[in-house]
Formats: sequence, structure tokens, C-alpha cells
Amino acid sequence: MLESFASFLQSTGVAALFQDGVVDAVKIIIMLAVACVLLYLAIVKKFEPLLLLPIAFGMLLTNLPMIKDSSAIMMHPEFFTGKVLEVGKICREGGLLDLLYLGVKLGIYPPLIFLGIGCMTDFGPLIANPKSILLGAAAQFGVFFTFVGALVISALIPSISWGVKEAASIGIIGGADGPTAIYVTKTLAPALLPAIAVAAYSYMALIPIIQPPFMKLFTTKKARSVVMEQLRPVSKTEKIIFPIVVTIVVALVIPDAVSLVGCLMLGNLLKESGVCDRLAKTAQNELMNIITIFLGVTVGATATAEAFLSPATLGIIALGLIAFIFSTIGGLLLGDLMYVLTKGKVNPLIGSAGVSAVPMAARVSQMVGQKENPSNFLLMHAMGPNVAGVIGSAVAAGVFLSMFTGI
Amino acid sequence: MNVSESLRTGIGVTLSEALGFGGMTTVVGLAIVFGILLILMIVLYLFKLIFYKSPEKMKKEVVTETASASEEDEEELVAVLTAAVAATLQTSANRVRINTYKRVHTDSPVWNRAGRKEAMENKL
Repeated sequence: MLESFASFLQSTGVAALFQDGVVDAVKIIIMLAVACVLLYLAIVKKFEPLLLLPIAFGMLLTNLPMIKDSSAIMMHPEFFTGKVLEVGKICREGGLLDLLYLGVKLGIYPPLIFLGIGCMTDFGPLIANPKSILLGAAAQFGVFFTFVGALVISALIPSISWGVKEAASIGIIGGADGPTAIYVTKTLAPALLPAIAVAAYSYMALIPIIQPPFMKLFTTKKARSVVMEQLRPVSKTEKIIFPIVVTIVVALVIPDAVSLVGCLMLGNLLKESGVCDRLAKTAQNELMNIITIFLGVTVGATATAEAFLSPATLGIIALGLIAFIFSTIGGLLLGDLMYVLTKGKVNPLIGSAGVSAVPMAARVSQMVGQKENPSNFLLMHAMGPNVAGVIGSAVAAGVFLSMFTGI
Repeated sequence: MNVSESLRTGIGVTLSEALGFGGMTTVVGLAIVFGILLILMIVLYLFKLIFYKSPEKMKKEVVTETASASEEDEEELVAVLTAAVAATLQTSANRVRINTYKRVHTDSPVWNRAGRKEAMENKL
């Protein structure tokens, strides 16, 4: 009896905690603490809780102390690092999270999330004001700026070795679009996935704090108080044709962006066509919620101590902030240019909404505009660049994927 | 795309390499993003040409009469009336234009109405 009691003691988490020595035990404890901090941010501070909570709990699950090769281990990140994905091995030996992570690794979840986002997106304001689509392109400036920044850091700091794939994955944080960032990272630099996902979703929640100072810095008081002309009404025909045309145009130029943009537009067509209400409802509610849980938990679960506790993570968090800031600035500068070219008809504040983060970034434009001129309603005008930003960051992702996937 | 060994692995990247390759990628990448969205912008302008009818034909002229407190300024009142009419007719506010509005007086004196209201509220 004593023997069985001893073997039980050896199988507990407490025993597992110290199996690799004190240093590893401390690492595990730090990771559990990080997970708890993220849970706090999600629950109390309400930082994108729908995603951050599953991510943080996934992180908690994956860092629980486990005896080596125990069948209780839910996630084996090492299964996914090889050149060839051994699906058979994952199915035989993998835990729950391994199986669910296949959806990330095979690129299934992010496009399905985009499907749901498409159902919730109204491209009306964009169709009504076509030039606002360019603001969605300008706000991708931060993506490329950060790409350069990451390469420079890699050159300057010897302990960090980021190649172009890592730099592209870090840069795409500036697209302010979680699914896109995850899609690019899982393809190009899977080891950085947890840090990039956490950075992307945390900064997205911080947009109302990050953006306003730069919005004031890069616009004049006079330009901020511009009241824009009312948008023209958009017919149903236009709203139906738009997603079809966008899909074809994007596919003709950059096929790597189609899995994201195509699903976004399929979702939008489900909604706008008016004949698939049931499908649209499922895509934007049940399906999207299910995928969000799977995506969040499994992305969090890749955050093992080896992957997360490194100087590279700090670098990613710093560069993520830079990416957001420079994307904001890129949008604002084109907004300023439009203000000048249209002789004061465009309020440059809508430029900052070109970073995707729908609809948060548009709300920030509205908020800052209203501070300058309380009777000004920029929200609908800002929604144009905002939804254009989703297309823009998906295209930027496609650019990176087509450049760097095969190398 | 031709990427040097150091840029591919990230080991031994030099500063000039980082800036040179990064700068080139930025120019090419932004050009592609702008290119695609520029094409879409042109398509959207075509939409406007093909599908958009002039507002004069679209807008119904609705003359509305309603009773309302006249303390707010004129513009705000018109905005409220437009929204109310649009909501009642179940149409977009873009299709409604308020030309004139007039306060409508009810037949019974205010005191009678107040009395009726009080009686009804007591019943609840």
C-alpha cells in the first residue's frame, strides 16, 4: 500500500514541478504568473476578453507541471516544430490541445474567423466614399516599418536572430488584426506565435490609449474640427457586387491573400445577399464563437517557457507598439494629404481608423473628433477606412506570404 | 525572391543588409497594397457612375406635422424629426427631407388632458 502511495506522490504536479531542477521550476512559476496577469487584464481590465481570456487560460494549461511523457499533457509544441507535420503521430499521441492546434497549424481558424467578421461588416461607408479605401492602405505603413525595425534589431543585438520570416510576422502586428497576424505567424515563424498573438490582442485593446496622442500630434486643430459631407446612400446591388469584385481583384493580383479576403467577402455576401440569413447568423455567432475558443486556447497553449521567456518576447512587445503607432501615423499623414487636396473636405482623423481593429479604431476617430467639435459625427466616415484596413492588412499579409513562404 | 543566407536565418545580419532589404520590401510591399486598393477605389467610383441615381429622384418629400417642444435649436429639431419620420416609414434617413414643420394643437385644453392623464396613471 505504501508503494502505491509513493507512486501516486511521484505522479503529482508537485513532483513534476521539480523534476528538471529549481531553474525550470522557477520558469514554470513565472509562466503561470504571466498567465494569471493576462487573466487579470482580460477579466478586470476587459482587454479584448473574448480572446485574451482563452489565450491566458491556454497558457496556464500548457505550463502546468507534468511528468515527462505523461498522457495528461494536453499540448506538445514539439510535435509542430518539424519540417513535416506528422498528423498521424499527433492523432495517436497528442492531447486535446494538440488536436485543436491543428486548426491553427493548417490555417483553418483564421479564415473562418474572417468569415464571421465578414458577416458583421458593413462595407456601405466604404462604397459611399471610395477614396477612404486608400487610408486603409496607408495605415499598413507600420507593418513594413516594423519589418525593417525587426531586421535592424536582429543586426544590432547578437542574442536575437530574426530573419525575414520572423520580421514579417512581427511587422504584421501593425495590421491590428489578430487572425491575420496569427495566419502569417503560424506559416512563417511558428515559434513566435504566442508572443505575437498576445502583443496583437493587447495593443488592440489599448488602441483608445495609444492612438489619441498621435492623432493630435499629426493633425491641426482646424483640420480636426472639419465636418464631413453626409455619405450617399448605397444600394443593395452595390453591396452585393462589392464582395464578389474584391475577391476577384485580390485573387488576380495576390493569390496568397485569397484565403483571408475570400472568406471575409464570402461572409459579407452571405449577409448582403439577404437570402442566406441562417448561414450568416451561424457564421457570425455560433461558428465564430466556437473557433474563437479553439483559436485562443491553442495559441495560448504554444506559450511554453522556452518559447515565451526570452529577450525576443520583450523585443516583440516593444516592436508591436511601434507597429501600431506607425500604422496610425501612416493613416493620419494620408488623411492630412487628403485634407489639403480636397481643400478641407476630409477630416484627417478618419485616417487613423485605417488600422483595422474594427470598430474600435473608428470609435477613437469619432471620440477625438467630437472633443474638437461636439456636434461632429465622424463614426460612419471612419468606418470606411476602418473596413478598408481589414482588406489592406490581409493584402499586406499576402505580400509577406508570397515573398517569404518558400524560402 | 532572392534572400541572402543571413537574412533567411537571421544569424549574422548586417545593418546595411537589414536597411537595404527592409527598405526594398517596404517599397514593394506598400506599392502592392496601394495598387490593389487603388484598383478597388476605381471600381468603387465605377459603382457610383453605374448604380447611383441623383438624389433629387430618390428623395421623397415628406411634409410632416407634429407637436414638439421648440426649445432646441432648429437644426437639431429637424434632425430629430427626420429620424422619427424615417423610423415610422421604415426607410433610410437619407430618403427623407423635412421641408416644413408645424406644431399641431389638440382640441382639448391642456388642463383636461392633464386630468385624463392623471386618471389613467392612477388606474395603473
